[in-house]
Amino acid sequence: MSDFAVAAHRDAGRAGPATEADGVRAAPDARRVLQLALAGLWLLDGVLQYQAFMFSKGFGQMLAGTASGNPGVVGRPITWNASLVQHHAVLVNAIFATVQLLLGIGIAWRPAVRPALAASIAWALGVWWLGEGLGMVLTPGTSPVTGAPGAVILYALLAVLLWPADRPGPAAPFVAARAVGAPVARGLWLVLWLGLAYFALQPANRAPQGLHDMIAGMAHGEPGWLAALERNAAALVAHQGLTASIVLAAALVLVAAGVYLPGRPARGAVALAILVAAVLWVFGEAFGAILAGGSTDPNSGLPLILLALAYWPARTAGARGPDLSPAVSPAGEGARS
Amino acid sequence: MTIPAWILNVFAAVMLAVAAASAARLAARRPWQRGRGAAVADIDVAHLLMGVAMAGTLTTGLRTLPDGAWAVVFGVLTAWFGCQVARNGRREGIRALSGARCAPHLVHSAAMLYMFAAVATPAASGPGAAGMGGMGGSGMQTLGLPILALIFAFLLVGYCVWDLDQLSGPGVTGHYSVALPRVGPGGPALAGIPAVTGIGTRAAATAPAGGVVGGNTSTAPPAATAQEAPPAASETTARAASPVLAPWVTTSCRIAMGVTMAFMLIIMI
Repeated sequence: MSDFAVAAHRDAGRAGPATEADGVRAAPDARRVLQLALAGLWLLDGVLQYQAFMFSKGFGQMLAGTASGNPGVVGRPITWNASLVQHHAVLVNAIFATVQLLLGIGIAWRPAVRPALAASIAWALGVWWLGEGLGMVLTPGTSPVTGAPGAVILYALLAVLLWPADRPGPAAPFVAARAVGAPVARGLWLVLWLGLAYFALQPANRAPQGLHDMIAGMAHGEPGWLAALERNAAALVAHQGLTASIVLAAALVLVAAGVYLPGRPARGAVALAILVAAVLWVFGEAFGAILAGGSTDPNSGLPLILLALAYWPARTAGARGPDLSPAVSPAGEGARS
Repeated sequence: MTIPAWILNVFAAVMLAVAAASAARLAARRPWQRGRGAAVADIDVAHLLMGVAMAGTLTTGLRTLPDGAWAVVFGVLTAWFGCQVARNGRREGIRALSGARCAPHLVHSAAMLYMFAAVATPAASGPGAAGMGGMGGSGMQTLGLPILALIFAFLLVGYCVWDLDQLSGPGVTGHYSVALPRVGPGGPALAGIPAVTGIGTRAAATAPAGGVVGGNTSTAPPAATAQEAPPAASETTARAASPVLAPWVTTSCRIAMGVTMAFMLIIMI
């Protein structure tokens, strides 16, 4: 920052309202803001990947554990990758962390947004399979409460929906529809949230102590206040596994269908999605277990919130927002494809 | 479980580069002379101190002051930038919390204050522990109130991506301009008259009497204007032509520091 710019800014208080003296910093449109949030998630993931645990053999063992319960065709590459990580933990993990840092930087750096988003999709799919065991969606114990279908697949979905292009035709009803169109965007939303509802009704979640044990298990290693929060939340659903699963699934179905509703009901459904995601993030995922150490991402709660924001219905003029020339990148942000 | 020393050394080297760039900016600006931008040297001073402090925390061999002393230093900086943000906030409201002004520096200073004030003594420091190199091992330093570390990490990452976005946008001027500093036709910057230059700027360059540095629209403090005689033209030109005074240098330094600080906070949780 220029000292003179700062001087100008500080002086603006005396000279009058801040105008050009503050430097031109036009606010990016809604999609760019969400892209930046996605960039922030990748950046955070990169930083988390530099934790000491990730450079140990324990990280490789953790990866290998995701093969368990998956079909052989899915599990064998996971085991191979985990073995590679275990034998070259420092080098491989340093590469992992740096790649994720670069993805975040690339998405935030406007000229690189397209290649970075494309690379993030490829990387996310690889991590989803080899690092998360496809989010364990093929295993019996999976649950949206603990992060199914996996944070990183949501990153990929976000990258697709936030792709910097606009389909021709009328203004999109929400940001996520700008690149892929409203029908496809709604379809993806429906599949995601119905999938979550399906997972919520799996036998492991319907068991009387199923949800209780999942939530209580998140208390391990957390700071005292968060552990207490988890234990209290777990106590609320103790022996109520079936009821809690049905309530959760009903809410998720409402969210899934809500995106097809007009105006205010649609907003209500998206708001419900944000609320559910926030509750899952705090109580089911304990903020991604970052405070307990050894977490590679903030889990699915935050990306679900981002995703919901991308479906927030536009008021009148569509989700395209104002034409902000500074926000239009050479990479085509805001351009029609 | 340790973080490889070479990774910590890389981060430390980046922080030393940030400190060096900040020192170069200070040297080019000469804030100790009247009329040389003393009123705005705080950001470079803050970056210099943060770079040195973080490098020392990452690598013991670069350690300069004890944690308590750094806590005092960053307490003062936090109070200073807090006052600046409060002053801006009175005028602009919530807008003062975004962008490239004092708010990011307040967050950076507060994060550093927290880092040095809340660091807990290692439970079992081994003889090989070296700064944060030791933090990756059994003698790992940790932070009290780890939720604060997480909050700071989120804020720092947020400012990083915002800075990157603004820095890479076409036609930006002001804080995010990539233009090299140059002198306006009327001489040095301290004239109290708006002027605009910069790459892709929206406004035409208009510097009727005031100089422009760094592609910013500059309005110098009236007090400074009244008191200061412009430096010699050759001197000003030399200073203004210094690439280290370009605004993007400071923003880049802040991005590097933000990532490094978030890294340190996360591994100390």
